[in-house]
Amino acid sequence: MTSKILHLIGGDADIGTSKTFWIGFVIAVILFALYPTQVSEFRASNVSYYLLNIPLALGMALLWGYCGVLSFGHVAYFGIAGYTYGIIAGNMAGNSFGPIAGVLGGLLASALVAGIFAYFVFYSRVREWIIPILTLVLTLLLETFLGQTAGYQWRVGSVLLGGYNGMTGIPAFQIGSFVFMGYSFYYFCMVIVLACYVGLRMLLNSKFGQVVTAIREDPLRTEIFGYDIRARQWLVFVLSALLAAISGLLYVQWGNYITPSQVGLLSAALPVIWAAVGGRTSLLAVLIATIVLNWVTFTLSSQGNQYAMVIIGAALVITMLFFPRGIVIMLAEWIGKVTNRKNSGAAT
Amino acid sequence: METDALALSLTYQFGTNAAFLFLAALGLIVILGMMNIINLAHGELMMMGAYVATITHNQLGLPFPLAVIVSFFAVAVFGAILELLIVRRFYGRELGALVVTWGISLILGQGTLLVFGPFMPAIKIPGGSYSYGGFSYSAYWLILIAISIALIAGLYWLYRYTNYGLQARATMQNAEMAKALGVPTNRVYLLTFSLGAGLAGLSGALLAPTSTIAPFMGQQFVAPAFITVVVGGAANVISGAVGSSVLLSAIKTPIGMAYGAFLGTVALLIASLIIIRIMPDGISAAIQKLMDRRRTRKTK
Repeated sequence: MTSKILHLIGGDADIGTSKTFWIGFVIAVILFALYPTQVSEFRASNVSYYLLNIPLALGMALLWGYCGVLSFGHVAYFGIAGYTYGIIAGNMAGNSFGPIAGVLGGLLASALVAGIFAYFVFYSRVREWIIPILTLVLTLLLETFLGQTAGYQWRVGSVLLGGYNGMTGIPAFQIGSFVFMGYSFYYFCMVIVLACYVGLRMLLNSKFGQVVTAIREDPLRTEIFGYDIRARQWLVFVLSALLAAISGLLYVQWGNYITPSQVGLLSAALPVIWAAVGGRTSLLAVLIATIVLNWVTFTLSSQGNQYAMVIIGAALVITMLFFPRGIVIMLAEWIGKVTNRKNSGAAT
Repeated sequence: METDALALSLTYQFGTNAAFLFLAALGLIVILGMMNIINLAHGELMMMGAYVATITHNQLGLPFPLAVIVSFFAVAVFGAILELLIVRRFYGRELGALVVTWGISLILGQGTLLVFGPFMPAIKIPGGSYSYGGFSYSAYWLILIAISIALIAGLYWLYRYTNYGLQARATMQNAEMAKALGVPTNRVYLLTFSLGAGLAGLSGALLAPTSTIAPFMGQQFVAPAFITVVVGGAANVISGAVGSSVLLSAIKTPIGMAYGAFLGTVALLIASLIIIRIMPDGISAAIQKLMDRRRTRKTK
């Protein structure tokens, strides 16, 4: 049983299968775990922000990289989950079950919208390019809708939606009487990111994951082999929407606010850029790119640099032109080649 | 009398909505139909057209019709440069093209903000307005409806009677066979992308007086344009653009009048989901199928 699970985790659905890799992986996890002990709560909180975007990025990798379906609008599910959490937890303020109910409600709302949307696009067997466009339209409409909810008439219970200023005062996450903030929130994010990564790796190494990858390679052939590709594409879409929802939930628990620009065009671009720059066909590459690119944008924009979006856009264009498979993946392959050459050199 | 006025007003609303959708989607659908590429920088190309028109009209004092024509050529040249430098490498990789044009749109939008600042003085709407039975009609929108019809006729002529149109239709049907028969497909692609970009610039310039001129103004055209293209499909540029904008306008006009513009757009999205559930390749493919069936029946 354990060997089966280890096999699922360590399979070749993602880069990094060697012993050296796993030693490095464990060291990296330990370093991340030790990081808060060395820095202020503020710095740890900044890194929490990089971490909480990772589930969204992994969802993009799953959907685009492994299943071959591109979505420009996964921030919609991020936003739906965030707003739903704000409404439920805000109305149950004071009740220690409020945040948990908010999390469940947020996940459910995102899954519901994603499920209905995905039914229409996948069961219609639309052309490849239609899905990214309709997802983009959906998220733009959501932004327009949320943007015009300013004023007192737009409230659910005691929570104001807040128009372009957004929803504020969203409660932090808590279990029982323990509230996740600062350092504890950092570890909370870390555990969730790790669980998402390992869980997705297991999923993609399973038979289901192999069929999903086969759909990307050749949908028609996979279907003729007798697999219902529509149902699988639907499931993968909903799953990736749930991952986006996890990020949305963590985001509102981290910053205690959310604005419509979180589902706007610029925000919608980010997950696609993380996945493209890292290398969408590898979970780990996307994870690394998400941390690095978030750090870059955060550093640039906190210095008041207006060129942040131009630089990010240029990074996307350059990646697509010169490193179509992703920068992190190409670096990883290069490292693998160098170490292999060394090993074979030592053997002869 | 009352119902007359209401009917006339509804017709006018229907016409303006259809003209808006048609203008917003035209450049996009020209490029899509030919090369299977969705140009996500479409909204930003429209924004560029609006900026060129505003600058040449307000600052250089060019008459507005001339400014619109200048916008067409300026954005067409820019489109040709984009095709040569970037888009050319993505033929046959639809999703790659989508992503790279999105990167371009981010650079264009943010770049415009940095160069020109957040606002531009708007262009005054040319022409006055008429009123009849309690409803008012803008002369400019009537002109836009007329221009849309003229554009349809112009495109029909271009695709049907010119050498470029023949080569373009051949490339669309079967690019490899066209190439083997000596059609310079690369040049056809370059011209088509440039034409699509130019039409986006033209539409942006034409719609500029009706909207605020800002770096991210392209975003307001993105949703309606993409819905129109998705519903229209890529089988035939003209029947796709016309059929889809007429059908969607028929949906948007009553709902928008009764419940406001936002719900009108939401209705567009829902309608498009249902329409692609029925015709996955869009209206143009459905029309094509219908015509093919009729033709085979005739020959029997």
